[in-house]
Amino acid sequence: MVDNDVILDVRSISKHFGALKAVDKVTFQVRRGEIVGLIGPNGAGKTTITNLVTGDLRKTEGEVYFKGTNVSKMQPFQIARIGLTRTYQVVKPLQGMTVEENVLVGSLFGRSHRENDLNHAKKNARKIMKLVGLDKKKDSKVSDITLPDLKRMEFARVLAMDPEVVFLDEVMAGLNPSEVEESMEMVKVIRKDKQLTIVYIEHIMKAVMGISDRIIVLHHGQKICEGSPQEVCDNPAVIEAYLGRRYAKEVMNNK
Amino acid sequence: MEQNNKKFNINIVFIIAAIVVFILLPNFVSGYYIRIFTAIFMYATIAQCINLMSGYMGYLPFGHVMFFGIGAYITAILMGRGLPFILAMPLAALSAIVVSIILGFPVLRLRGHYFAIATIGMNGAIMSVAQNATEITGGAMGTTYPIILLPPGQVYNYFYLAFFGLMVITALIMYFIVNSKFGYGIRSIKANEEAANSMGINTTYTKVSAWAISALFTSIAGGLYGYWMSFISPDEVFDLMFVTNSIIMMLIGGAGTILGPIAGAFIIESVSEFAWSGFMEYHLAVLGIATIMIVFFVPGGVIGTITNRIKNRRIALNKKAEVTNG
Amino acid sequence: MSLQMLINAILLGGLYALMGIGFSLQWGISGIINLSYGAMVVLGSYLSLIIFNMFNIDPFISMFFSGFLLFLLGAFVYKFALQPSIKGGIVFTLIVTFAIRLIVENIILLVWSADYRTIRISYAGSNFQFLGTFVPLTKFLTFLLAGALIYLTYQFMMNTKIGKGIQAVALDKEGALAVGVDDQKMYLINFALGTALAGVTGSLWASIYSFSPHVMDVIIGKVFIIAILGGLGNIWGAAAGGILLGFAETSGATFLGSQWQEAIGLVIMVLILLFRPHGLIGKKFFG
Repeated sequence: MVDNDVILDVRSISKHFGALKAVDKVTFQVRRGEIVGLIGPNGAGKTTITNLVTGDLRKTEGEVYFKGTNVSKMQPFQIARIGLTRTYQVVKPLQGMTVEENVLVGSLFGRSHRENDLNHAKKNARKIMKLVGLDKKKDSKVSDITLPDLKRMEFARVLAMDPEVVFLDEVMAGLNPSEVEESMEMVKVIRKDKQLTIVYIEHIMKAVMGISDRIIVLHHGQKICEGSPQEVCDNPAVIEAYLGRRYAKEVMNNK
Repeated sequence: MEQNNKKFNINIVFIIAAIVVFILLPNFVSGYYIRIFTAIFMYATIAQCINLMSGYMGYLPFGHVMFFGIGAYITAILMGRGLPFILAMPLAALSAIVVSIILGFPVLRLRGHYFAIATIGMNGAIMSVAQNATEITGGAMGTTYPIILLPPGQVYNYFYLAFFGLMVITALIMYFIVNSKFGYGIRSIKANEEAANSMGINTTYTKVSAWAISALFTSIAGGLYGYWMSFISPDEVFDLMFVTNSIIMMLIGGAGTILGPIAGAFIIESVSEFAWSGFMEYHLAVLGIATIMIVFFVPGGVIGTITNRIKNRRIALNKKAEVTNG
Repeated sequence: MSLQMLINAILLGGLYALMGIGFSLQWGISGIINLSYGAMVVLGSYLSLIIFNMFNIDPFISMFFSGFLLFLLGAFVYKFALQPSIKGGIVFTLIVTFAIRLIVENIILLVWSADYRTIRISYAGSNFQFLGTFVPLTKFLTFLLAGALIYLTYQFMMNTKIGKGIQAVALDKEGALAVGVDDQKMYLINFALGTALAGVTGSLWASIYSFSPHVMDVIIGKVFIIAILGGLGNIWGAAAGGILLGFAETSGATFLGSQWQEAIGLVIMVLILLFRPHGLIGKKFFG
């Protein structure tokens, strides 16, 4: 069954570290243009799944299809080049280079990697920096800017790659409440502007629930629930995962 | 913008003037100085190659001299079979490229210390081959080159110009590489290799290509060196001192800049000559101490420090303009 | 392999083991690839030479003196030359240790020239028989002392406060810092210990072989191989690596002719780096 709307098809992927099943037969699909929230308690396997999908980590089993192509065995750089990208929870700026250069690299090697025109890439980079509000800081060295700006830059870098799907891995980590608001706004604006599909990994419930069309919940490496934000909140298994059995029972009884 | 263009043009004028001066120089100085400059040009070339790998890409090929030796030996062997230098040397360079590609794929997977050591090991192994494959290479005793067919007076000039040309060409090519898209790939690897991969850079291909380019120019330097000396031996052309010198020059002049290795070559060779002639008995110690002092006090290298000063001044001027313009 | 060859290999391996441990500790724990290590070993040999010529004292006794002096030298070098270079990365530390090697080499050349020297111990020629093989006395004593010192080093690492401190920073720097270990002090002591071992090795070397500045390069080649075989920072690994190298050299010399010996050692080292960078022996530290 080929669903033309499905852009990312993750089929029963697993990652075992010896006896530890960090990710256990997780299956889900992402439709073009969606924002899918990926949540779960710490250690649930959210970042591991991101690593498995983008090729940063080798899968123990399972397959990943992107736009109909089997990308399971591809190298990270190949996957990035066809439009499946991610940001890092702990930002990975290109040290020793300026903000503009960081974004420029994204522009040069992303989906338009066949192009060799530096000027064109620079123009593209500048447009993106303006979009996220970094244009004033374009000549700053990455060692000189603040964490929120580093996160903005990480986002800009991935946007410069002209991706179709972006895994945003805890972009809010380390931000204060007003910065969180800004970040949410930015994601909304960009999604509309660039018609991106986003897999949004986040701890901060307000952000995830506020933005996502659909939510997937992970626990101990397994998918335990999938649905609209409301459905997920009411699901007993989800409540138990976050609060533990005893409190979950209390919550359920009080309903 | 205006200022930038003006600066760019002034630099080019200086460089062209310098090139003209150096081309004419042999007519005005004695053979002693010609020899020193020739050595400087040779070291500058090797330092450029090391700079590409280490200063720009972050992989220090401590055993890089292996390509120097390969260039020297294969040129010697081919000339011994009757080929003229003009054919033998390019073929030797080609062999060096092939070796760098074959060895590069496995060894460039290693990082940092391990990569450096692996290259030292490879160099040692190749040197051993040169020492033991006596029928082909002449063994540990070394091998000779056919003497160059030029009147003795012109020999010095020939190699002076040849090495000068090599240095200039290498510097130019490095300049274009570093400022190209490929150059961004190289620099991103040093900046953060994992991020580089996730941004779509084929790091394996980039690393091997960079190594092949460094191998190319280093091997040409080796071939020319052998022809210049007319005699080579394994422990000479595979001597780690060539690379160590080049690394020091790169550091002194400024790693990660194009003019740095050239400036460094001039400085170190001068110090070296000064130490040798002035302190012959102590010259090793002087070299050692000078190295340590320079590494400590000028960590960005000469060119690096100058570039930083200029950049900082420009940023300060811009800030001032911003403030006054409101 | 004949019994004589086996004995030879083991005796040689013991010396190599001791030699390799110092270098492996410096690289694995203090993070310094010490290109002056060979120079330090040879310096130990020359120190024993001085003492023998002046006081007629055996290298087996003067080795303690070599070890002590080289401990101090190592501490001095680390504190003033290496600690400041570490932030420059591997390029800086390699160059600085190489520079130190040059300085030491120059000193040796000035005082003793490039000629090969020997220490003519009175009993140098004597040997005893063991199961039909000849065991040279000096090599036997060297082996015993090397073994004892390796054991002592291990005990130091395991059972003294400082030794445990060194292990702590090696295994988990942040954790060690969190409990109040002075990491810089540990790296310094570890490094100095490495040069001390180098010095002691030099004295032992001098009891058996002749030596000259050239030997520096021979030694550095060997310790690289031993450290990589055994896994950086791993005492028993390096010991095993030393023994292995002893075997490889002894049998290689017999079967292949000593010329290819070095090439083989290096090729093996490179192969190990490619496929088992943590050494044949495996785990990273002492275990």
